Amino acid sequence: MNGAILHVDMTTGTHRMIDDPELFGEFLGGTAVATELLFRHGDPKGDPLAPESPVIFAIGPFSSLFPVATKTVAMFKSPLSGELGESHAGGRMAMSLHEAGIEALVITGRAEKLSYLVIENDSAELKSASTFRGQSAAATERILREAEGKSGRKVSILRIGPAGERLSPMACATVDGSRHFGRLGLGAVLGSKNLKAIVISGTRTLPLACPKEFKAVYDILYDRVVKSKEMKKYHDLGTPANVRPLSLIRGLPTRNFSQGNFEGAEAISGERFAKDFLVQHTACAHCQCGCIHMAELREEFAPYHYSTNRVSYDYELIYAMGSMLSLSSPEDILKLLLFTEKQGWDAISLGCTLAWATESFLHGVLSLDDTGGVSLSFGDCGAYLEVLERMAKGESEFYRDLEMGCAFCAKKRGGLEWAIQYGGVEPGGYMTGENFAVTCLLGVRHSHLDDNGYSIDQNLLNAPKPLEEQVRAQVKEARWRMVLNSLVICLFARGVYDEEIILQGLDALGAKWDAGKLRELAAKALLRKHEWKRLCGFDPAALVVPEKMYTVQTSTGMIDRESLQQRIHLYLEEIRR
Amino acid sequence: MTVKYLRVVNRDQCIGCFSCMYACSRMVHNAAGSGKAALRVKAYTGVEGAFSIRVCARCEEPDCAAACPTGALTKAPGGGVRLKKELCISCMACVKACAIGALQWDEEEKRPLPCIHCGQCVKYCPNNVLALCEKEEECEPR
Repeated sequence: MNGAILHVDMTTGTHRMIDDPELFGEFLGGTAVATELLFRHGDPKGDPLAPESPVIFAIGPFSSLFPVATKTVAMFKSPLSGELGESHAGGRMAMSLHEAGIEALVITGRAEKLSYLVIENDSAELKSASTFRGQSAAATERILREAEGKSGRKVSILRIGPAGERLSPMACATVDGSRHFGRLGLGAVLGSKNLKAIVISGTRTLPLACPKEFKAVYDILYDRVVKSKEMKKYHDLGTPANVRPLSLIRGLPTRNFSQGNFEGAEAISGERFAKDFLVQHTACAHCQCGCIHMAELREEFAPYHYSTNRVSYDYELIYAMGSMLSLSSPEDILKLLLFTEKQGWDAISLGCTLAWATESFLHGVLSLDDTGGVSLSFGDCGAYLEVLERMAKGESEFYRDLEMGCAFCAKKRGGLEWAIQYGGVEPGGYMTGENFAVTCLLGVRHSHLDDNGYSIDQNLLNAPKPLEEQVRAQVKEARWRMVLNSLVICLFARGVYDEEIILQGLDALGAKWDAGKLRELAAKALLRKHEWKRLCGFDPAALVVPEKMYTVQTSTGMIDRESLQQRIHLYLEEIRR
Repeated sequence: MTVKYLRVVNRDQCIGCFSCMYACSRMVHNAAGSGKAALRVKAYTGVEGAFSIRVCARCEEPDCAAACPTGALTKAPGGGVRLKKELCISCMACVKACAIGALQWDEEEKRPLPCIHCGQCVKYCPNNVLALCEKEEECEPR
């Protein structure tokens, strides 16, 4: 890799390309490089929505070259957590950045008016987005694909919906068809830069340095992706295959984490979605698996008149808009998801915040005066749709608060003990036990994807292990994912990419890496992220688990305060080892 | 030598992964990326999941060759078209003449990318969207 970094200054509308091969030589790419760029350009004490606050995108040495190296890493200071903001998205963005010859993109500044950025190879141009201010994420893509797709070239389109324009810290950024930088509020950061969309295309291909070796590694990976069982589950039912089994072991968060088994699990299972609603699988560019599950939602809007929309779904979405809200009808879930998709909210944060609001209403912490007459109760989809519409209109202070996330709402209005969030971030859909709680607390982006905590919890049901061993396994996985996320491969392919094939792949590209250097990178990248988090004010000693979580049954029993403290202590020790 | 027939046989099974385009670039042109592909998967926005795959139709009377003002692109005796690079003046008349948009343009080299009907794209399609047949009637588009 040449280490080509494109810097765009939104304030002046200027750009410059610099090559930093040393940075990529030392930090590989993706997440590790983006972290260093965040150190270089970001102020950990700064306002995440200030013009100078950078947004960094990075791809890695495998991007667009090997199968399923489909993700782009986004790094920023999160307006939701106030510390490390990191989110990954697929679609065609990694492909387009690669074809444009850009390995990292750094955006700073703030445009005078709402704009979009067109990147074509090493050129960058800011154009006015005034005519599509307030347009949905979906409409924005339609508009720009026509406006900027005249060359017939493949383009990737990243954009925010109205939620991002309103600077909601739970606003996502959507890439191409239904892929998202979902978590931690990238949408608000882009909105604060007056950046509605980025359109990326390029014309570059890369001559193969060692064609024979490259093709041999490619074929091994291709066979693993297409023919082995490693990725079959992601293609067939996809992650919603987990709905039923998780509910059976009390791990599917239901009615704001009140219990882990949902009586409606069967009705919203992956099997049911596939049989009744799945109309197509689609894929990110260069992923032969195709895990994107598209459902069709057909609604009668007037007698004998129907609207039809395609909505993507997966496990986390079914949890956030289904079991969390006690909705056991796939149609209801799809209606909420369609609205969410258009607005450009993060479905997980939104679902958790709606669940907090419901519980708060039921406890009398919120009144009908607060909600403007909307009566909230679990299972009432009509009320939730009404809430979303009022949020989109910013109808009152309460509805404007809701899109700030549940931590903000609870601190201001009460119900903190049942505001399910860790460090300000609403969790993924697992109620499996203490390992997952540690993931949420100490994972670098408070994400269920930071390590395999939920999986360790589940495995304990069959084979108990000493606590120390569990924590060590968790940290080992968190470190290893630094390598995967630096390459940058989709984590669904984590079973496909082992250390051996990664080293063979790097070798075929002429990159000088060995197992020792990879492990060193993994340990260092993890520590660097923690370092940045601490500079932002993240304090492991002040970690708080929502009180409610100590009072509910998980897959592995009750969460114990002392045991959790012990895990936190061990985890922090282990990452330094 | 007679080339085989490359056909789209299961368009509606396409997931839009571009694996065929990557395969063509990699296997035929030794290039990483998808920019050297002699076929194209088109995605239509607003109709999520609607893909259209354009492959060389191996025309009896190729419009692309007829449009070439210098004789660089000619009908190959065994089927398909061939390019004499040294005669190409990068006018793009051939690409514009291909009504189905199958003939691709090499943006780096500024010349067309005629399909050689080798079937690498077929080999790397995970969903049997494409087929390569000895006779045209063996793989009628569905």
